[in-house]
Amino acid sequence: MTDINRRHFLTTGARGFGALGAASLLDSSLFQGNAGGFLQQHHKAKAKRVIYLFFSGGPSHIDMYDYKPALRKIHGIELPDSIRNGQRLTGMTSGQKSFPCVAPMFEFKRYGQAGAWVNSDILPHIGSLVDEISLVKTVNTEAINHDPAITYINTGTQQLGRPSMGSWLDYGLGSSNQNLPGYVVIISKGKGQSQALYSRLWGSGFLPSKYQGVKFRSAGEPVLYLNDPPGVAPETRRSVLDTIASINRQKFSEQGDPETLARIAQYEMAFRMQTSVPELTDIRDEPKSVLDLYGPDASKPGTFAFNCILARRMAERGVRFVQLFHRGWDQHGNLPSLISGQCKDIDQPAAGLIRDLKSRGLLDDTLVICGGEFGRTIYSQGTLTKDNHGRDHHGRCFSVWMAGAGIRKGYVHGETDDFSYNIVRDPVHINDLNATILHQLGIDHEKFTFRYQGLDQRLTGVEGAKVVHDLIA
Amino acid sequence: MSNLLKFGFTFLAVAEFSVAAFAATRVDFRKDVLPILSDKCFHCHGPDAHSRKAKLRLDQPDWTQESKLLIPGQPENSEFFRRITTLDPDDKMPPPENPKSLSPTEIRILDNWIQEGADWDEHWAFITPKTPTPPEVENVDQVRNPIDSFIVKKLEEQGLQPSPPADRYTLIRRLSYDLTGMPPALDEIDDYVNDTSPHAYETLVDRLLESPQFGERMALAWLDIARYGDSSVFHADGPRFMWPWRDWVIEAYNSNMPFDQFTKDQIAGDLIPDGTRSQKLATGFNRNHGTTDEGGAIDEEYRVEYVVDRVKTTASTWLGLTMECAQCHDHKYDPISQEEYYQFYAYFNRTKDRGMQTRNGNAEPVVYLYTEAQEATANHLRSQLKNLRQTRKSKKAPDEQVQKWIEILQEAGRQELPSLSTWQTLGPFQANDAAAAFKKDFGPEKAFPIDPSKALADKSWIPKEEYEDGKPHTLPIGDNSALYLHRTLKSTTTQIVSISLGSDDGIKLWHNGKQVLANDTARGVAADQEKVDLKLTEGQNEILLKINNRGGGAGFYFKLEGPSVPEDIQMLATKTDDQRSEEEFSKLVDYYTKNLWSRGLQLDEEIKSTDADLKSLMGSVTTSMIMEDQETPRKTYVLNRGHYASPIKDREIEPNTPSFLPSLSEAFPQNRLGLAEWLTHPNHPLTARVAVNRYWTMIFGNGIVSTISDFGVRSEPPSHPALLDWLATDFIENGWNIKRTMKQMVMSATYRQSSKTLKEHLEKDPINRYLARAPRLRLQGEFIRDTALYAANLLDLRIGGPSVKPYQPARIWNEVSLNGGLFYKPDSGRKLYRKSMYTYWKRSAPMPNMMAFDAPTREKCTIQRQRTNTPLQALVTMNDVQWVESARLFAKRILHSPAQTFKPRLDYAFQIATGRPVDESRISAMKALYQSEHQRFSDRPEDATRLLEYGEYPHDTTLDPIEHATWTLLASAILNLDETISKD
Repeated sequence: MTDINRRHFLTTGARGFGALGAASLLDSSLFQGNAGGFLQQHHKAKAKRVIYLFFSGGPSHIDMYDYKPALRKIHGIELPDSIRNGQRLTGMTSGQKSFPCVAPMFEFKRYGQAGAWVNSDILPHIGSLVDEISLVKTVNTEAINHDPAITYINTGTQQLGRPSMGSWLDYGLGSSNQNLPGYVVIISKGKGQSQALYSRLWGSGFLPSKYQGVKFRSAGEPVLYLNDPPGVAPETRRSVLDTIASINRQKFSEQGDPETLARIAQYEMAFRMQTSVPELTDIRDEPKSVLDLYGPDASKPGTFAFNCILARRMAERGVRFVQLFHRGWDQHGNLPSLISGQCKDIDQPAAGLIRDLKSRGLLDDTLVICGGEFGRTIYSQGTLTKDNHGRDHHGRCFSVWMAGAGIRKGYVHGETDDFSYNIVRDPVHINDLNATILHQLGIDHEKFTFRYQGLDQRLTGVEGAKVVHDLIA
Repeated sequence: MSNLLKFGFTFLAVAEFSVAAFAATRVDFRKDVLPILSDKCFHCHGPDAHSRKAKLRLDQPDWTQESKLLIPGQPENSEFFRRITTLDPDDKMPPPENPKSLSPTEIRILDNWIQEGADWDEHWAFITPKTPTPPEVENVDQVRNPIDSFIVKKLEEQGLQPSPPADRYTLIRRLSYDLTGMPPALDEIDDYVNDTSPHAYETLVDRLLESPQFGERMALAWLDIARYGDSSVFHADGPRFMWPWRDWVIEAYNSNMPFDQFTKDQIAGDLIPDGTRSQKLATGFNRNHGTTDEGGAIDEEYRVEYVVDRVKTTASTWLGLTMECAQCHDHKYDPISQEEYYQFYAYFNRTKDRGMQTRNGNAEPVVYLYTEAQEATANHLRSQLKNLRQTRKSKKAPDEQVQKWIEILQEAGRQELPSLSTWQTLGPFQANDAAAAFKKDFGPEKAFPIDPSKALADKSWIPKEEYEDGKPHTLPIGDNSALYLHRTLKSTTTQIVSISLGSDDGIKLWHNGKQVLANDTARGVAADQEKVDLKLTEGQNEILLKINNRGGGAGFYFKLEGPSVPEDIQMLATKTDDQRSEEEFSKLVDYYTKNLWSRGLQLDEEIKSTDADLKSLMGSVTTSMIMEDQETPRKTYVLNRGHYASPIKDREIEPNTPSFLPSLSEAFPQNRLGLAEWLTHPNHPLTARVAVNRYWTMIFGNGIVSTISDFGVRSEPPSHPALLDWLATDFIENGWNIKRTMKQMVMSATYRQSSKTLKEHLEKDPINRYLARAPRLRLQGEFIRDTALYAANLLDLRIGGPSVKPYQPARIWNEVSLNGGLFYKPDSGRKLYRKSMYTYWKRSAPMPNMMAFDAPTREKCTIQRQRTNTPLQALVTMNDVQWVESARLFAKRILHSPAQTFKPRLDYAFQIATGRPVDESRISAMKALYQSEHQRFSDRPEDATRLLEYGEYPHDTTLDPIEHATWTLLASAILNLDETISKD
């Protein structure tokens, strides 16, 4: 057991915990069962697990979800000062002399009973699902550049060194599968400009490092160092492990350190992972009818569609938090063509995932979230032409949708102004969004704390985040 | 006790504290009461004026003595006690809606405290320590040095017995890892085990302290603290070169630089009068933080971020304070106001480095670490440059030439602008990534003069009438590509014209074959993004423009602005000789001399080329980033809510230290050097305690204060307060001598105990706070890898130099890198086997095998690593090619050793990896493995070959492959044993 865990025990009421010597055994495995989580849930959880579809680079809310017919009328006009309102711009466009507004160069339709506008050219599948989801149009962040923004939404602050949401949950709730990690990250890449990702986005910050996200990979070994070296057969691995275990047991009898027993358990767990992970990532047993749900890329490893299938398979196996990063949403120029390509990557797979989860009854307790680190500006970055333009970063409002696990269905939350620039009604700060996610998992975000450097740290920061109850069915 | 009943409070029997233990001893305010008050009350009734409720402050003593709130000795008459025990939700404290509440035990402690008189005491860590006398103990045999007196005393109080001394095998291995991060060599084990001198142990300690690996081991811990890395963290996380600073740290430890000097050099080496180059280098400590290069970043936002990081790192490292909590508001628990935060911040707010830094290399200010030859050449070039510049400055164009030029200007009335040809484009040319598209010459860049009627690089020039001047144009080119545009300018005279350019994204411009502009940028196109003056020769001139597109749209803008002869010059020239004064004429001479005089221009060329030589030389000189203050220091203000754009400008903040600590002497300079002097002043209550506590942690696994980066009010109370003070005062009195302090710790009987864990230990002291046994800990990741390399005889012991790139699984960088074009290229040969502390540390995608073993990303200061035990660690040590190859070479070493039969071979292997001879039970376990796997490889010899060819190191074909492969498995098993990766 690590010092910091001990410390947590000590400060959360387990002071003097009689047989703390067993602490290392209590907390010995990376993938402990439910009981291994550190948190007693604060209320009944609607969600048992989370699948977070994260589109990195800043997907344009204007061109995907936050449409209104009024946008057509402002096309080409200069962004009024009354709308910009002195708000800061990134260094990429703050020197621009002209800020011509751009209406989306796409068709939109109202979908579902909710009548929510969705881009019908490039998001028809998600459009057809709006009655399953809550669409939040008023998510907002203070950050205006990628690195701080993506760090903020994933760790609750723009500062470095904090745990990611997934590791908070892994730490708090543990994993319900003994043979798989509780927190998995998979990355795919679109054709657009790819902004960098950072291991801190799935890092454990000041939490013990065993809670960091385990990256699954599309080619080669699905988990780093998983495969036995060349020439080492599984039976050989078994014999080696048995030998190690017998000597370690001998060591324990000599030295009496409980950590030695924990190590034997970890080696066994590693061995089980060598079977459970390939079994998880081998999708050959998926019927065609299921693959078809996810679209033409479903069986191509490395695609977002393939990763969505893996996410579902992980959900079935009890992985607590799966985060799929899809890269390439940073459209400073050539937005119309580039965003079309990106949406093609994700539209059918994301919708397929929801349908697949639903048909298996998993959507009832799986929370699916779909969004990015910020949105994009109404004004064009660079020259606006008849059929081309770009957009800069915009954090004042952007769109995120959620589905499953007690989230209201067919609901649109919040409203932005006619320029999709400022929030008119019901803002949802990214920390509010995170508080709501925790709430669905049975966690009161204010009580879920970890003492680090004298402070009771939490995922949702010190500014007083609020659960958005309107989003809850 | 009875009070609780009086108040109708039901005491819940919780098995937390023994009631009996409480009745017997008085409540200790610092240990028992202050932690409760700080945790449950200070948030609303503490140092932070903003969040303070009911104007009530409970963090200062006045309320505890006969106030309305509290009557000492009478909890039942004290409002404070009523409030914490009442059942009335309106009065109850903490309020029911607050996530915090007081446990029955905590209420009991407060009750007892008031009963006993409500004594108040300052937080211990903020009071300068006095040297305590080591206590008398009963068990004097257990005392080898004063450390033991403190430890044994505590054990006696706890009813615990110290453990017997560990055996010599255990001791030499423990000491070797603790002092050098390495296992002991076989002959070293032999020497020590057989050394009959009574000073054998001390001799060993002295030898290890003097070994160069001592500095490496100490530096490795310091690198976590100093957030050292080989990349810039934010956005592109590009390469930087701070390894000279890292090597400085190793050398400082090896030369046993006193800690006060170590502190001064790193915090303020640049400000030390007549400071050396090495002292400047040391200040790299506070340049190791992350820096950004993100195109849209706001400079000031990041500049402030860097200062904030320095405050945080400096305060955690030297003061053990979470000063960063006071950036946005007064500290909630420790007595640091927001204003005091900015006083501390002001020391670091005067540096020259900018917010927007680089994604490639070191950002200024830097120190140049010349070789002698480089320095001589640089000096030569500098003096040459000085002469040329002097000549250029002192010589003027002959009057008659000036006169001739004036006539031309007069004749033309206005200068005639050159005539421009139509743009011709060539391309686009595709590259793998944007950087390459910008950098690469696809053909025309050195092809002057260009004839657009002729194809170039297999492409034809295409005339573009539509590219009208003065308007931005979209260019039809894809991501990561480049396009060339060419045109001629015919001029009737030698003249300077000014042009305006814009580009999406990168731009380069050549004039008559000479590059005059290069800007590798990402942006949308607009007018006036670049201004260039072209010195046209008489007749035909040509320009070549290159636009590269990183992604998305592309475009360019061009406009000939006009002659760049300024109006006043033109006006003077049009005057007749009579009208023009001498002074006016000399103005014309100056202008002509500077801009148009051929001899002068020739000198300019020489200056430029000499300057380029100097720059190129300087580019090859190793540099390291350093701290340097501005000549006129930037002003500091409190930032409202800590926000960079909200300085409260009413009042300027001067650098100063927090008022609850001893004040800064006026004799010290009011800058970082003064701060460093203050930190290392002998009366400072924190610096020495924090430092020795860290050394203690390196030796004993846990701190005496277990929250080693926080000594504030909410820190964990020290397990041995007097010992900590003894160590701290001893450290100061002996000149901050690090090796001496380390030696003292390892010379203690406490250190030399056996680490065997008994049932009694698990019952009475499971986390080993009292050290009735030596700690038994898993080695840190770097030591585990180094041990494998050492066992394999592969470990390269060279010290320092640029970081190296050992094996890493494919695509770790590429998967996350900006634009996805970056690949990790592993080194080969000896660089694969350097000590792990030299592994290239890219902070957005650090080495995964070390991350599995709790290495921090080093994006932020990390004072203490976690120590976890996970299946991913098992996968690394079983399957990572680095370990498998090591096992293969370890097996080779075993098979080439003088030992020729199974048992001696195994004994040899165990001695290397675990530092002790093998016993029968291990032999029989290994023998069984040997037999089963020898058989398996005999059945499938191709498996043996595959295993023996894994890794770069050549397969030793002189050995029997079946035997070698089998021993490789045995070696791998040994490298994976708990006893190999832990120290007893």
